[in-house]
Amino acid sequence: MQDLIRRYGTGLTAVFCLLVAFWIIVLVILPNFAMFEQSFRPYLPVVDIGGPKDFYSLANYGKIFDNGFETTILGIPVTMPIHIKTFLDTVFYSAVVTFLTLIFAYPLAYFLAKVAHPKSIPTLLLLLFIPMWVSEALRAFAWYIILTFNGPLNALLKALGIIDQGIRWQNGVFTSYDAIVIVLTYCYVLFMLFPIYTAITSLDTNQIEAAEDLGSPWWRTHWRVVIPHAKPGIASGCVMVFMLSAGSLLVPTVVGSTKANWFPQTIYTWFNDALDWNTGAAYSMIFLLVCIVFVILAMRVFKVKLSDIAK
Amino acid sequence: MTHDKSAFSRRRFLQGSAAGAGILAAPAIISSKALASSGEVNFIGWAGYPALAEKVFPAFTAATGITVNFKELPDQDTMFAEGKVALEAGGVDMLEPTIDRWGGWNSNGLLGAWDASKLAMDNYLPGLADGSAGERSRDGDKLMYVPSNWGTEALVVNEANAKLSSPASLGDLFNPENPAVLRPHSTLAAMGRWLDATGKLPRPWMDGYTDMAAMTELWDIALAEAIKAKGNVVQWWSGENEANAGFTANGATVGLCWDSTGYNLRKDGYKYIAPAEGAFAWHQGFVLMKNATNVDQAHELAKFVSTPEGSAMWAAAFSSNAVGKGSADFIDPEVAAYYGGTFDDAALAKLWWWPEQSAEFIAKRSEYADKYKAA
Repeated sequence: MQDLIRRYGTGLTAVFCLLVAFWIIVLVILPNFAMFEQSFRPYLPVVDIGGPKDFYSLANYGKIFDNGFETTILGIPVTMPIHIKTFLDTVFYSAVVTFLTLIFAYPLAYFLAKVAHPKSIPTLLLLLFIPMWVSEALRAFAWYIILTFNGPLNALLKALGIIDQGIRWQNGVFTSYDAIVIVLTYCYVLFMLFPIYTAITSLDTNQIEAAEDLGSPWWRTHWRVVIPHAKPGIASGCVMVFMLSAGSLLVPTVVGSTKANWFPQTIYTWFNDALDWNTGAAYSMIFLLVCIVFVILAMRVFKVKLSDIAK
Repeated sequence: MTHDKSAFSRRRFLQGSAAGAGILAAPAIISSKALASSGEVNFIGWAGYPALAEKVFPAFTAATGITVNFKELPDQDTMFAEGKVALEAGGVDMLEPTIDRWGGWNSNGLLGAWDASKLAMDNYLPGLADGSAGERSRDGDKLMYVPSNWGTEALVVNEANAKLSSPASLGDLFNPENPAVLRPHSTLAAMGRWLDATGKLPRPWMDGYTDMAAMTELWDIALAEAIKAKGNVVQWWSGENEANAGFTANGATVGLCWDSTGYNLRKDGYKYIAPAEGAFAWHQGFVLMKNATNVDQAHELAKFVSTPEGSAMWAAAFSSNAVGKGSADFIDPEVAAYYGGTFDDAALAKLWWWPEQSAEFIAKRSEYADKYKAA
């Protein structure tokens, strides 16, 4: 604070602080708090709001356990609440997306940071960024068109004689979530790439050479030298991609198969179809809390501290 | 307060001009009621349809001399709350809910009855203010609701490839040979109505809308049947774009979609068909406040929206269908021909109006839709 005042003077520092405070309090804390408060109140007709039926309870939170639904996990038939199933699917496939983006992003980040000629870096980064100039909605819709039954992918494969019957890619070849996983991976891979790239850039190349001079095979150099150094970047990339994927509404809505349901869609249904904002708020709170817990646990398991990510 | 002032000066002006040279008394001649009380009506309607204030109300004022004080509100809950306040404070004459809502408003003591002799009940197209819709517009023999515009959800089919029964039925949506584009909650209702029509339900489908125990009983059956038939669903829709793409990009041959979807695809070999069970339809119209002060003016506005031109303008403002006979003459001929092709008088009389769905019902309905979607 002293440093800020010395550098920018009292006036500007006050403006900075007020703006940040406005952002955090008015745009983040208050809306979330309002939703938190609403999530404990029942959904009532306008006239009953504030009346005797309007009291706090956990009923909205309990609804996630309603509605048993028969399904199978790994071939074993089980009955579980429908929204719990959606929730687990969302967390699982978000983790799959996170893993896939990591697989794609790590080699590329290493290439950009240590292998590519420094002169070509700006061009390469520009090429990577170009898709980001297009809105996410359009990119998702473009993928929708690519994957549709009468779409270009089927047309191309048929023209090449690889398939003779169109495939409903959108409805999934492996799971009902194929299309969602593909498009989320495409949309969020750069959120994985750049933190890892930044982390690897700060690694002294001499360390890699030293490892090689001492006879380490390439995979062990990565395992013992590069990855440990890049861990904070990997961790922050994973947190970002996981939270973005799990919270995505647009992509599952546009490309989701007729069997897939993403948890944000369930929340959306509560708000916009059932018109029950209170239960929607309760579901949002559950989702937020469980995702945060999941991320903290994952960080524990991989021994990453929050302060590493903030570096 | 400004309303009162302007109304007062308008009235003075009309009286003055009528009593004097009579040159400017044309509005008073067209509607003598314009002199009987202040020439205005306080109307609460839907926000987001600018053509109402830009085109329809000026035309109404030009025809009758009555000005419309229009208050736009975004949804029916807010309209109801506003009506509750107006019951004490006054200042509201008429509102525009959907047909499934006025019953609740009436049981809260908000509404007065329309005087059919001051309206022109013959102006309405068959099936809109008579038949089952007519019954649902009345409380006993009191007319509580008159229609203003309406829309449908029915079968959009690919003329060349859809396998249709004869006549086309809601059951065609569940034919495994027809790739289908559907939206979950309507589809479950369609399944229920189809099972009902083929005599496979233990009790009438309509029971589910009044009794929650019957609802779960019936919707459990519809859900189970719909899940069995789910294999042919190639696309869910929730808006126009998805519905359209379901046909063009994903190759669906049948769908249960809005009339506008069928209209937009009419040149690509698709047709909009009312199923034998009757098309799903929604209905919105006018109710009169119990303590309305401008009762005659409110009747004038409701009547104006039943005339050929007035009903066509009202429907155009909402991009929906008109309630008045002869409105087709004032609608884009292509649109008129399109709707005329789907709904002859028999199909109009068979329209299945969405029943009242309570908040509890809708929440439960969403749960069924979720299960159907995830199955």
